[in-house]
Amino acid sequence: MNVVAKKPRTIPESSLIGTRIPKMDAPEKASGRTRYIHDINLSGQLYGKILRSARVHARIVAIDTSAAKALPGVHVVLTAADVPDQRPIGVARDHFPLKGDRVRSQRDEIAAVAAESEEIAAAALKLIKVVYEDLPVIADPEDAIKPGAPLLHPAPAGAQPAGATVAHRGKADNIAMRFDYAHGDVVQGEAESDVVIEDTFKLHYVTHCCMGVSGMIAEFDASGSLLMYSNTQVPFLHKREFAEYLNMDPARVRIIQPPIGGGFGSKLDIYPFEVICLFLARAARRPVKLVFSREEEFLASPTRQPVLLTLRSGCKKDGTLTFRQVHTLHDNGAYTSWGATTPFVMMQTFSSLYRVPHCDYHTVAVYTNNPYAGSFRGYGNLQATFAIEQQMDEMAAAIGMDPLAFRLKNAQHTGEVTGQGMEFKSCGFTDCLNTAAQRSDFSRKFADNAAERNQPGHLKRGIGMASMLHVGGGAKIYPSDGCGTILKMDDFANVTLITGASEIGQGSETVLSQLVCEELGLPISALTVVNNDTAITPWDVGVHASRTTFIAGNSAIGAAKKAKTKILAVAAQKFGCTAEELDLRGGCVIKAADGEVVTELSKLIRNLHFSDKAELVMTTFYYEPPSVHQGKDYKGDVSAAYAWATQVVEVEVDTDTGIVRMLKVTGAHDVGRVLNRLGIEGQVEGGIVMGQGYALTENLMIENGVMKNPNFRDYKLITAPEIPEMDVSFIESMDGEGPQGAKGIGEAPAICIAAATANAIANATGVRLYDLPFTPERVYRALHGQTPKLYWKPWVPAA
Amino acid sequence: MTELERYVAPTTLAAAIDCLKDGEVTILAGGTDLTPQTRAGRMRIKRTLMNIRRIPELKGIALDGGAIRIGALTTITEIMDSALIAKHLPVLVETCRHFASDQIRNAGTLGGNLCNASPAGDTAIPLLVLGASVELASKPEDKIYRRSIPLSEFFVGPGQTRRSLCELLTAVTVPLPAPGHVARFHKFGTRVGLDISTVSIGIGGTLKDGALAAARVAFGAVAATPLRAAQTEAALEGQRLDAAAIARIAAVARDEVHPIDDVRATAWYRKELIHNMTKRMLENVAQA
Amino acid sequence: MSPKHDIEFALNGIRQRVTVPATMNTLEMLRDVLGLTGTKYGCGEGECGACTIQVDGVSMNSCLMFAVDCDGRELTTIEGLANDTRADALRASFVEHGAVQCGFCTPGMVMQADHLLHKHPEPDAETIKAGIEGNICRCTGYKKIVDAIACVGCTNK
Ligand SMILES: Cc1cc2nc3c(=O)[nH]c(=O)nc-3n(C[C@H](O)[C@H](O)[C@H](O)COP(=O)(O)OP(=O)(O)OC[C@H]3O[C@@H](n4cnc5c(N)ncnc54)[C@H](O)[C@@H]3O)c2cc1C
Ligand code: FES
Ligand code: FES
Repeated sequence: MNVVAKKPRTIPESSLIGTRIPKMDAPEKASGRTRYIHDINLSGQLYGKILRSARVHARIVAIDTSAAKALPGVHVVLTAADVPDQRPIGVARDHFPLKGDRVRSQRDEIAAVAAESEEIAAAALKLIKVVYEDLPVIADPEDAIKPGAPLLHPAPAGAQPAGATVAHRGKADNIAMRFDYAHGDVVQGEAESDVVIEDTFKLHYVTHCCMGVSGMIAEFDASGSLLMYSNTQVPFLHKREFAEYLNMDPARVRIIQPPIGGGFGSKLDIYPFEVICLFLARAARRPVKLVFSREEEFLASPTRQPVLLTLRSGCKKDGTLTFRQVHTLHDNGAYTSWGATTPFVMMQTFSSLYRVPHCDYHTVAVYTNNPYAGSFRGYGNLQATFAIEQQMDEMAAAIGMDPLAFRLKNAQHTGEVTGQGMEFKSCGFTDCLNTAAQRSDFSRKFADNAAERNQPGHLKRGIGMASMLHVGGGAKIYPSDGCGTILKMDDFANVTLITGASEIGQGSETVLSQLVCEELGLPISALTVVNNDTAITPWDVGVHASRTTFIAGNSAIGAAKKAKTKILAVAAQKFGCTAEELDLRGGCVIKAADGEVVTELSKLIRNLHFSDKAELVMTTFYYEPPSVHQGKDYKGDVSAAYAWATQVVEVEVDTDTGIVRMLKVTGAHDVGRVLNRLGIEGQVEGGIVMGQGYALTENLMIENGVMKNPNFRDYKLITAPEIPEMDVSFIESMDGEGPQGAKGIGEAPAICIAAATANAIANATGVRLYDLPFTPERVYRALHGQTPKLYWKPWVPAA
Repeated sequence: MTELERYVAPTTLAAAIDCLKDGEVTILAGGTDLTPQTRAGRMRIKRTLMNIRRIPELKGIALDGGAIRIGALTTITEIMDSALIAKHLPVLVETCRHFASDQIRNAGTLGGNLCNASPAGDTAIPLLVLGASVELASKPEDKIYRRSIPLSEFFVGPGQTRRSLCELLTAVTVPLPAPGHVARFHKFGTRVGLDISTVSIGIGGTLKDGALAAARVAFGAVAATPLRAAQTEAALEGQRLDAAAIARIAAVARDEVHPIDDVRATAWYRKELIHNMTKRMLENVAQA
Repeated sequence: MSPKHDIEFALNGIRQRVTVPATMNTLEMLRDVLGLTGTKYGCGEGECGACTIQVDGVSMNSCLMFAVDCDGRELTTIEGLANDTRADALRASFVEHGAVQCGFCTPGMVMQADHLLHKHPEPDAETIKAGIEGNICRCTGYKKIVDAIACVGCTNK
């Protein structure tokens, strides 16, 4: 590309930051040209399919695969017995990809087939005969922790290797994980309280519903090296893990990530189907493609963590919060994925969203025969916020304070260090509260709605607010939270940015390009981003915790700055001035003082390439945020920055039907700084509507371990006619560590909606709902006094 | 179990019903019910798959004497966009607006909707209220034989109708409503867009002096078939629609239905909806 | 195996003759037989709209349509629309308004929007929302999609 067609004498200052930049890959996507994993086919490829359990909890007595093996077109049929070197997978290493002796949930993988076509593979599955012996189903986590409850993972027969995993040696109780955190002294806090409130909240199952179903392609080359096409969000860590499951050298695993049809946290763990696909490809010595059907996507994907939560909080008459005590019961499902670790995030909200001097937090995650929960945008924060923000309203009412004033009194400010050790270097919380309240006319409407509640008519209006705190500068959940960048410039002044940060539809490549262009004074069209191949891209710990803009952004800026230094040094030498007198702008080297063009950048670089001391402009940078890997007490400044938001939801409740219509959402988000306005609006709007689904319509119904609605007909996603009016403001708190001042917000927008909706329904009707989702029938029942108050007596471990 | 052996796409009605004689024929219209049902294994395609979409006689909407005749292949979109229907049977247009999505309305046919005989099928409800009949054609010998049966007698159970295996549904006829006729349709789903009815209600009659004469009431998704509600009709007939009467009629409606619990709603809630929505619709009629 | 059938139809203006099993749906035919992967599988049951194409000028879910039923008809897929300059404005509007995130719903959404704009050249927001009720998007929250379609509608005035 020739960057500048006409040569202007001077180039005025301009900035890309805060402008509306369309996603770079959007034209391809809008033309249907983008090739997702489903659209990639390798020659010689076979089709993999998995046989799942027909039972929820059973012993496998026998499996007969002979008929399936005999079917023409079938290459490989595998059961656990065929893969004796299987290693346990999952966050707690508590299951094998192919289940051998026992199935513990409806999704469990029993056998797998690779065949010439999908139809043949499906036909082969039907020919596999499994004999089961049913075991008692434990569908309720409260039953699972009772003393003497049947064990989900009893010790398997036979000698087990020392130091083995749960999958090898079993577990003597049904407790998958426990988290216990405290700061201050809740007993003292309670003694100082004028008002104490205790409620139980129940959070349901929902799932990601990425529009592109899960899938993967695996191929081993002649020397046994593995090439995978996978949509993992964590390519570098998973590369090592996949190698471990195959007993091979991680250096021989390469992962290519095709564009993804939605992520939202679902690709953070390794799932059985992926490892099974590798087994099939290894056994068949052919590429194997394994893609889910939508039904399978429902049955075998992780869910959002369902939670039963009892929260006890107190405050003084003047509105000062005194303490908070939290107990949660996490239904872990049959195996452990990231869902069990949501307490990492939940406890932050309880301990640090508001100033609370005494806080006590306990989670027990228990095994059941239900689907297992994974990571999902918001990571426990929707659940925690749902409880806290409802009690904030309840406490405000109990002391006769306006809900906004009560929140403002307890809100965190810049400079605060919380009981958990989080340090708020930039904090726009108060601005968020005030902006959202003012723009929605919150206090007036809140009072009016309450006053009009008992007027005749079946339509009631309500308004409610909720706020959130979430990591916005990565999260040091591993010892490192860094990201690498390689930047190279060609002799047309085009930049290839090679980043470790995967693109999962969130628009990261556009933001990264923008940050680099801003440093180098280039138009966005001068950038190409490479981010999808572990053989090319530098190390990164993966897409999670809203970290990409912040971490990969800082990394990209670092590389760009180095490039700029180099270019300006060369230019200074060539034009006989100091580097400080020069700058880059509009594809040219200019005089910093008045913008006068010194030379075109492309020309300068060509000179550099063709000079006798030829040099390339190619830089690398690794950014590691100044955050802390938390210790066993969960204390420490885990993120380099924190994002804040307040959302106000307005609803209309039809008391004849229980239908809740979401009329308007007014959001104020502390994003540090707006980089790409178009992109960030899209993230927020998408998150709001995802939160709307969580609050109102989405409900994965599991009865006795069996999923009742694995389809879009009865698992209801929000459709266009239902979306609320959205008024979104951005608070620019200019984070000192953030790239151009920005913080990550990918997860933030979905977090408050359910809590604010609950408050809005209470404002409209005087009835408070403690369990999600607010489907018409549930709301109607509550309005008609048909819902007994929920109570879960916190579980305490036997002494 | 017979396997699919043959696909045919006849272009005349005669050829189509000839083919049906075999008895082992699956009829394909828009396919919007057939595809998901066969893929999910809830239904099996028989020996012959017969696509009836190439038969012109099954298309079109026409005023035919005192009745409107709607061909079985008329799509939901065509009904919605028809000026004739809008003029004479506005409640049917209203119903079609709440039917599925644009894409499905463009493919799905009236005949398919009725023959699928889902208790939650939407078009049956206003058609029951309008006193529609279905026309069935067969060819026992070499002449086409047509019979007409009232829609109220057509449904037998979920997916089951009085149509014999050798018959094709060719059209629906709806008598022109009397002057002063009012009809209302209400569909309750949990979301506005694309949804299957949790319950649906149709009410119609001739409004005179604040009362409905020749009153008809139909309910969907509360029984094994779309239901004509005789008791509710009796309670409604000729009653001045004041608040007390409306309350009484709504209570009769609630007691008349015996729905089941399923993933979409419990029986209790469905009965509450029938009560509350019937009440609301009657209030609306009273104000007409 | 179900019996195979020869069919002939116009696909994006080009005549096609293919042999398909009687039970195959149009989505499978487009993707697996004809190699046009722009049309997406999202559910296979008519619930998501990712597979939307136009048949004889109206939009339909290709996953619900039997492939044999394409015989004699005119099909337009996203690949056809992508090469049609009359749809340039629509695609550009999706890009400029940020109506595309992961993009998986986008081809179906664009096909449906194109049909909607044919039927209602100047749709208001409510008409647009109702028009795309059969298309699920998990990423955008729909607002930018509605804006993108409305903007094309405006210029139709
Ligand atoms: C996502 C989705 C949403 C839907 N939403 C709704 C909704 O809101 N309301 C609603 O009522 N329905 C809904 N449906 C169901 C379906 O779209 C309708 O029932 C549609 O009208 C069926 O028509 P069709 O032409 O597609 O039928 P087909 O699928 O072709 O046929 C349906 C059945 O009728 C038989 N049949 C068809 N035509 C004839 C004939 N002329 N004579 C004899 N037998 C015949 C077929 O053999 C088959 O058994 C929905 C379906 C889907 C997939
Ligand atoms: S794939 Fe056809 S509607 Fe979802
Ligand atoms: S952009 Fe991802 S589903 Fe719509």
